[in-house]
Amino acid sequence: MNTFKTERFRDKQLGFVMYLIGEAIMFATLFATYFIYTPTAINPIPKEVFEARTVIISSVFLLTSSATIHYGEKAVEKGNHKGIWIGLLTTFLLSVGFIGMEAHEFQTYYKEGFTLTQNLFLSSFYILVGLHASHVLFGMGWMLVLAYQKNRIPFMNYAQKQNIFSYYWHFVDVVWIFIITLVYGPYLFY
Amino acid sequence: MRKLYVILSSVLLILSGCNMRVLDPKSQTAKGQSFLIQFSFALMMIVFTTVIVLFIWFVWKYRQTEENKHRIPEDEKGNRFFEITWTVLPIILLAVLAVPTIKITYEISASSSATPPNAVHIDVTAQQFSWTFEYQNGVVQTSELVIPKDRPVVFHLNSDDVIHSFWVPKLGGKMDVIPGKERRLIVTPDEIGTYQGKCAEFCGKEHSLMRFETIVKTQEDYKQWIQKMKRKTE
Amino acid sequence: MTFYLFDRSFYIASDVLLAYITVILSGAAIFYLITKADKWPTIKKYVTTTHHRKIGVLYLLSATLFFIRAGIEALIIRVQLAVPENDWWVFQGDKFNEAFTTHGTIMIFFVAMPLLIGLMNVAVPLQIGARDMAFPYMNAVSFWLFLAGAILVNMSFFMTASPNAGWTAYAPLSISTYTPEAGNDYYVFGLQVSGIGTILAAINMIVTIVRHRAPGMKLTRMPLFPWSTLITSFLILIAFPVLTIALYILMFDRMFGTQFFTGEAGSPIYWQHLFWIFGHPEVYIIILPAFGIFSDIISTFSKKRVFGYTSMVIAITIIGLLGFMVWVHHMFTVGLGPLVNTVFAITTMLIAVPTGIKIFNWLFTMRKGLIQLTTPMLFSLGFIPTFVVGGVTGVMLSVAAADMQYHDSYFVVAHFHYTMIGGTVLGAFAGIYYWFPKMFGIKLKETLGKWHFWLFVIGFHITFFPMHLAGLNGMPRRVYTYLPKDDVFIYNFVSTIGAFLMGLGTLAFIWNIYQSFKNPDYTGNDPWDGRTLEWAVPSPAPEHPFQPMPLVKTIDPLWEAKRNRGGKLPEAESARSAPIDVTSWQPIGLAGMMMVFSLAFIYHQTWLQIIAGIGVLSFFVIRNLTDEHVRVAREEENE
Repeated sequence: MNTFKTERFRDKQLGFVMYLIGEAIMFATLFATYFIYTPTAINPIPKEVFEARTVIISSVFLLTSSATIHYGEKAVEKGNHKGIWIGLLTTFLLSVGFIGMEAHEFQTYYKEGFTLTQNLFLSSFYILVGLHASHVLFGMGWMLVLAYQKNRIPFMNYAQKQNIFSYYWHFVDVVWIFIITLVYGPYLFY
Repeated sequence: MRKLYVILSSVLLILSGCNMRVLDPKSQTAKGQSFLIQFSFALMMIVFTTVIVLFIWFVWKYRQTEENKHRIPEDEKGNRFFEITWTVLPIILLAVLAVPTIKITYEISASSSATPPNAVHIDVTAQQFSWTFEYQNGVVQTSELVIPKDRPVVFHLNSDDVIHSFWVPKLGGKMDVIPGKERRLIVTPDEIGTYQGKCAEFCGKEHSLMRFETIVKTQEDYKQWIQKMKRKTE
Repeated sequence: MTFYLFDRSFYIASDVLLAYITVILSGAAIFYLITKADKWPTIKKYVTTTHHRKIGVLYLLSATLFFIRAGIEALIIRVQLAVPENDWWVFQGDKFNEAFTTHGTIMIFFVAMPLLIGLMNVAVPLQIGARDMAFPYMNAVSFWLFLAGAILVNMSFFMTASPNAGWTAYAPLSISTYTPEAGNDYYVFGLQVSGIGTILAAINMIVTIVRHRAPGMKLTRMPLFPWSTLITSFLILIAFPVLTIALYILMFDRMFGTQFFTGEAGSPIYWQHLFWIFGHPEVYIIILPAFGIFSDIISTFSKKRVFGYTSMVIAITIIGLLGFMVWVHHMFTVGLGPLVNTVFAITTMLIAVPTGIKIFNWLFTMRKGLIQLTTPMLFSLGFIPTFVVGGVTGVMLSVAAADMQYHDSYFVVAHFHYTMIGGTVLGAFAGIYYWFPKMFGIKLKETLGKWHFWLFVIGFHITFFPMHLAGLNGMPRRVYTYLPKDDVFIYNFVSTIGAFLMGLGTLAFIWNIYQSFKNPDYTGNDPWDGRTLEWAVPSPAPEHPFQPMPLVKTIDPLWEAKRNRGGKLPEAESARSAPIDVTSWQPIGLAGMMMVFSLAFIYHQTWLQIIAGIGVLSFFVIRNLTDEHVRVAREEENE
């Protein structure tokens, strides 16, 4: 069942990959910003702020969701409708878990007084991780639309839409891997 | 043709030394820069003349006229020899330019990082929209900078607010004045006189009015002046 | 001027008041004329269109409007500077600063960019044998986002809050501590919204050129305008996201109290790095397409294929690559040290090599050719010496130690106007005259075109040549006044005269457009005896061109067909499926919503931010639910 890959769809795939290159550069610039401003002269330093537990749990959620959306992708190719539902639902639930952890993390930091304007390390942390979180939120909305459309549009169109979505979702995951290794990593796991 | 005339006549103006401040240097630094400007200009005139000559020649010779208008020119893909020529020659030309560029760029910044023993140190503070000059003995001047001839002057540049740029065209190129980070600039004036100083980085509402006078005095006069100012402040 | 209303006083500067009156009166006049001529259906067609030619026309039209606005600003600047210690109207201090800030911002982002993207939209798909842009709907979104951003920046003037920190918005001046007014917020959001549109446009161009070329149109047979468009699009794709993030961070500094670019905790220099890492490629983004236009035009009107095609393509690519390695030459006076300065001085000099290759290739394209002095060719010929002046001063500026004298002086102002007007603006004019028949089926008048050319180019040199000398005599840029003892009066006075000549040239252009529509010269498919595929389709370009699809076997396929096949292009057996054209109100709706969203941020209205934010997101959902691909798939199922 590979028929959804029409010429017009391949245009879309290429276009979306190009879009993701643009996004990658945006994130790269934010990573650079983070490196330049971290650590700063003004306290707190990253080690006082980060908590390994929340980072690990949220990473488990998000990284697993990459596997589940991949499962959904395979299901589309096989035309396995039940598999598609399972893939979509598990991905969605995992992303809810991730966002929940992120919200919890930010809330904890704020309670401890680590606010956006406290120092430049925190500012660059929030604008980077916050932008990533908003990407996850956007992806969650996208999944809802996909679920709504699943049985309402021709299967070929659905397959195309989900394929593009999974590109997006994998991209968001890869950015998260960079965030763990470059933003949290140096201060948590050495 | 008209363009050529305008350009040539202004070239003559410059060569005849019509006192362009940048081309009328009064310090070693400014002399180096002025040399680079004239040297690069001369090299670039070679390029410019070549292009203009070919341009006029080709446009004139191959223009469409009543006689030739039905001719179909032959297609030519290119010419390896020509193409290599106009790749290699500019590279050589630029290499010639790059040597003094590197040399003088290093010279200027080397003199800015060393501290000559007999130097005069002046703290320059820029703020919207004026300049303050503080001498080592506590004399503070606004909008007027007095410095001695033939002695290195070290300017310690600091800004109280936004970015400014310290520029005395006759004494040499500018240096940005950046809040939070001291910058240094060293010049050794070699002629007495009064020169204009300006803020060259756009800094807000009255950027245009942010000017100062630079007065270069003989060492003797400078000594007298600074003592007089010192007495005044006490 | 102060007004009293409901016991409150309102102050409106007289220039703003005049602008209101002008806009309201001309708006009313245009409304009346449109209604009288019964043109509303045409306007509706253009507003809802996704067709590449019409979107191209929309880009060009709005660019022309903004050109007039920013051009008037240029004249205002020149009048204020005409004599020393001038006190003309209100343009001293901040008013002057606002004038040059919006002049620069609008000219770069809302004139140069849309002029070129407009021409790309009109010509590129036809030149490569595509039936439309790859994503027609997204193309409309790009345009309307661009326009929304442009309107935001233009609107600031009417809200008496123009941006006033220069088009480079150097921090910390652009931070709310020093410019608390809404002006620079308009700058941030205006550029952000239009920047997103530009990125989408670049993606669209890349996919169109990579996947929609006619059968046999290998990359090595593609005309040079599509080539330069392709390279430019990659530059946009890499450079604009950096601007997006720079503006994103600046927004946090201005609105949410962070300190990234402040002098105390942050680093003002970091803004300069970010801005120029975007800003220098941006310069090539607006010059490379013009190079492409000149290549095609010079080849057409010399009746010869372009000389050294391969080296032309390599040169554009190298310029594009080097464009990312030279940004520090805007920062030689910052004090980054001699090593950094010399490295960037040398990379900057290197750019002269590929540029020189292109100049000589153009010259040798004309050699042994048959040069026809039509208006588009005149503009291309005017470009060569003008741009060479800009190029050689560019090399002079690259000499780091000497640049410390030129930097931020009028010498630099002269240099970049020589490249931007000499390259981009002349290129855009050349392109407009060249492809006008493909847009509307009529030619622009040649005589008026020549008036336009000569007035504009002579005016240009009179305006900008003296600026070199003013700069060498120590005149810093961005000043609203100078003193008689500065000895720069004569240069400034001459400049002002030249500026008005350029204004006259522009009027000739507008008069030409009016005259050409009033007494149209209808032309056939191929008014210039062209060489490339766009001249094989009817003028104006139809909604569904290339039926049957041509098979491309050489460079300049139409010329080859005219020489050897009696003008008939070989036909391809099968063509790929064309993009789906739609008409939709959604793009303009989305852009409008983005504007409301931005305004909610500029004026700190949280409730409106939430509503407009939901509004913007809902457009994504609506788009998804009304996807034309679904409609087409259903139609195909039913067949």
